Amino acid sequence: MILLISLTIAIIFGAGAFLILQRNLIRIVIGVILISNAANLYIIAAGLSRGEPPIYPLPEGAQVSDPLVQAMVLTAIVISSSIAAILLALVYRLYVSHDTLDLEEISRAERRAAERLDSGESLDDRESSEGRPEREERP
Amino acid sequence: MTEGGKKAPVEGVTSTLTQVIAKVLLVPTLMIAVATLFKGYAQTGDGFSAGVIAALAIVLQYLAFGREVVERYLPVQGLGTLSWLGLLLALGVAAVGLFRGDALFTHYPAPGAEVIHIGTVEVITAVLFDVGIFLLVFGYAVGAVRIIAGVIQRQESGEPEEEAVYHDTEERLARREERA
Amino acid sequence: MLAVVAAPVAALSGSLRPGLAAPVGAGIAGLAAVATLVGWLSGGGAVDVAWAPSLDLRFAIELDGLAALYSLLATGIGFAVLVYSSRYLPLHLEHEREATGTSDPGVRFYFFILLFMGSMVGLAMAQDLILVFVFWDLTAIASYYLIGFDRHKEESRASALMALLVTGITAVLLLIGALVFYAAYGTFSIPELVELTEPGALVTLAGGLIAVAGLAKSAQVPFQFWLPRAMAAPTPVSAYLHSAAMVAAGVLLIGRVYPLLQKSEVLLNALLVIGLLSIAVGGIIALTRNVMKQLLAYSTISQYGYVVFMFGLGGEYGAMAASFYVIAHALSKSALFLTAGAVTEATHETEISRIGGLARRMPLLAAASGAAAAGLAALPLTIGFFKDELLFDAALERGAPFAGLALLAAVLTLAYTWRFWSGVFLGEARGHAERVPWALVAPVAVLGSLVLVGGILVEPFAALARDAGAASFDAPVEVEPAYHLEASPENLLALATYAIGALVILSRPIWIGAARAFARAGELAGPERAYNAALRGLNRFSDFIHTIEVRDLRGRVATILVPSGILVGLGILATPSGDVYRVGEVTGDDVPLVLALAAAAIATVAIIFTKKHVTLVLVLSSAGFATAVAFAFFGAPDVALVAILIETLITLLVLGTLKLIPRKVLESGARIPVRQVWRKGSVAAVAGATAFVVAWGTLSQPSAVEGGAAARLTELAPEAHANDVVTVILADFRALDTIGEVTVVALVLLGVATLLFRGRLP
Repeated sequence: MILLISLTIAIIFGAGAFLILQRNLIRIVIGVILISNAANLYIIAAGLSRGEPPIYPLPEGAQVSDPLVQAMVLTAIVISSSIAAILLALVYRLYVSHDTLDLEEISRAERRAAERLDSGESLDDRESSEGRPEREERP
Repeated sequence: MTEGGKKAPVEGVTSTLTQVIAKVLLVPTLMIAVATLFKGYAQTGDGFSAGVIAALAIVLQYLAFGREVVERYLPVQGLGTLSWLGLLLALGVAAVGLFRGDALFTHYPAPGAEVIHIGTVEVITAVLFDVGIFLLVFGYAVGAVRIIAGVIQRQESGEPEEEAVYHDTEERLARREERA
Repeated sequence: MLAVVAAPVAALSGSLRPGLAAPVGAGIAGLAAVATLVGWLSGGGAVDVAWAPSLDLRFAIELDGLAALYSLLATGIGFAVLVYSSRYLPLHLEHEREATGTSDPGVRFYFFILLFMGSMVGLAMAQDLILVFVFWDLTAIASYYLIGFDRHKEESRASALMALLVTGITAVLLLIGALVFYAAYGTFSIPELVELTEPGALVTLAGGLIAVAGLAKSAQVPFQFWLPRAMAAPTPVSAYLHSAAMVAAGVLLIGRVYPLLQKSEVLLNALLVIGLLSIAVGGIIALTRNVMKQLLAYSTISQYGYVVFMFGLGGEYGAMAASFYVIAHALSKSALFLTAGAVTEATHETEISRIGGLARRMPLLAAASGAAAAGLAALPLTIGFFKDELLFDAALERGAPFAGLALLAAVLTLAYTWRFWSGVFLGEARGHAERVPWALVAPVAVLGSLVLVGGILVEPFAALARDAGAASFDAPVEVEPAYHLEASPENLLALATYAIGALVILSRPIWIGAARAFARAGELAGPERAYNAALRGLNRFSDFIHTIEVRDLRGRVATILVPSGILVGLGILATPSGDVYRVGEVTGDDVPLVLALAAAAIATVAIIFTKKHVTLVLVLSSAGFATAVAFAFFGAPDVALVAILIETLITLLVLGTLKLIPRKVLESGARIPVRQVWRKGSVAAVAGATAFVVAWGTLSQPSAVEGGAAARLTELAPEAHANDVVTVILADFRALDTIGEVTVVALVLLGVATLLFRGRLP
């Protein structure tokens, strides 16, 4: 049983790692979700006992599951789902600002922006929409 | 959530069947949520899961009827405030111990002391704490759904997202060159 | 005690009803002032609650003399300032709206100024160094938002950041000082520390750290540069900041820990030197400034230099005089600032050289601020006369050279105060002047008349200062300021001040060049340059880190996964592996669990090979549901329930996100070259193998203690009136963690909302 659980954890973790290494942001987020799944499974498997639910009245003689890991996992699930939510919002935000979910593309754009910042150009083009002529000639 | 969309579009959202089911399910789901909340100390469930169940009830309404209808008939706007109230309530329960000279998060009545029952609900401060969690999670989940629904609606009504021009991706550069 | 509670309440109620914010805030501030006064007259009171006993942290507040003084200032002047802002702020916002086209109800102004007031009152009463630190930082946060109130102006934002950094970083010194004391004496309580500490290097070190924090907040040399910058704030904020809150907090802290500082001769001498330097720098630069608020700002630096100087002089005169000085200065300075605001409102000018002769057009304002100016310049019949009398007393007690220095300081004050008042109100009329609302004049008039009242009936103020002095001095103080119509040294010094002051004023053309050169030199080589350089350096450093760390995220991930895999592999090779790994038996009861696990694994693997995004989401959620089912078979129904619910929500969230993003964008970068697939696949395989070995190894070796915490918790549940052990752990035993968890949830909601709504809340 221990071997089987470990194998499952390993498969889920490996799949998550593979997805995190992708270029597409949605897949990266899914990878993060998978890795937290693996972690949760691991925590609950680390419980000292496995058996009936730890709810009174406890069954006579039968083994009761370790309640401590369950409480830990509950917290972990909530936190990891929150992380997933904020990652998704970030992905959407990146789409709005960059029109792409390709990590390499975003990283290139950021490097360009940094270069422009170093060369002293203003990044804030928003005033251009308020009357100033648009600076289209910028490379 | 998607299955009804193709057959008989009503207001372009979902089928009548989905809507009827959604309407029927609303109150029972909320009741289940409340039950999960108060029975949490005796059985499976706690404030957190109760909050998510209740939120799912609202989400179902969004999916079935669309944003406008839901926000017209259900008081969902106030739920954001509700979640902060929940946080305050939970923190307030936490602070009770301080005023009575005990450590933070001491729950009352004390271990072993007599507990007042209302039906099967036990009156203890830990339940109150869970109510705070419930409110917070409920408000949070519905708030998140509302926000996304709002963004979807904005997008569908053709309102353009603002461009953060300082991040020139190649695509954007190409588009700009075309224009020039 | 009401005051502490009242201010946050006011802030809340103010923020809920925009229109009512001003009157409610002012009303509560007034109420709090009265409450503090009554509390002080009835002998004070104390609250002492342990809020984290295991860390020795106590919520200890006491309304002693020092607390009463500063709370009265905070709430009383707060009241005046709030009345003033109820008219000033709408006008100010009107100007900003014309300038930028943004609309802003400005409710946050009241919120933060009341927060400021509340934390100031708390700071005044706090008797515990950690509590002091908490309130200390609260004032810094409130001041950050107030100074940066005009947030669309870059100058405002930079000034706010500067104030926050200078006072925030030095606040850490306060914390370190507190911890040093705690490490040595095992308590954070100031009264206990006073009894326990012995003069020595430790007191000098810790006391010195705390004193530096106080000096930075009081804008003393070399931290003076943030204060003139902070003038970017709306005028009522400046008035409040200078007279009763932020800057006063610094000397309040010094007054609070003064019994400790007194034990170190070195510290007292350091205070003397810093005080004198601040008097000189502030005073001389103030003489050269042309913008009204700038002049007043430098004068504040100089004035608090006096207070620090007097603390440095020591003795009962020093302690009492410092407290008295703070009262007198607060009344005068707030009135002068409010005057500057009203004048700017009337003339739309900020520079003294462009204004003049306003006395005829605004007689009431001229008279009121004249009284305040006289108070600052220490003319007789004002409360200010006594502050200088006490200053001379304290200096004389220490020796003649100090009296000479005090004399020079007083001369400087006289000179720049005259420059401010005469520049604005006398001379030939320039520019136009509109009528200003009464609410802009009345607070000045009230404060001005208080200055005069204090000049005749000094006893109430002196009693307050004596009480405060006693708290600082840690012994009763017997000092009676009064008029002595005789040729006492103090009176002679005062007369000399007036004479030399008049000379300085008349000889302005002679020395102004030198003073300007001094101010220039300060700009060129002063600490502000060091601050800016440090800020730029940090920025570059963070850029550098960003470049090497973040640009190539995936490379980073791989460089974590692969080496950790290698390390784990090495570790396994190095440890004996015999009998470590257990396969564990599979009984008939375990079949459902095995099936659930298999389903989870298969669904997860399927995710990798899924191309279409909708399918991807469905496969993802089935993997999640399979995991949830596995939880159920682990005997964890609570976890299974939450996992299923959460999985549903996440699925909906992902679907919603997918709906928002066009398909073409969704698939950008989704296809990667085959060669890369192999590389990534092998990295992932290494990661998976590592996880497998770690999981198998650890799961095979459960804790040696059979049962342990789990069994104990299960036994305890009925004690806590519960049947469900998991719930009772979450809601009772580990409730603090749960609070942390749901706070994360709430913050995530805020984050998601701001991200989706273009940086604004819906």
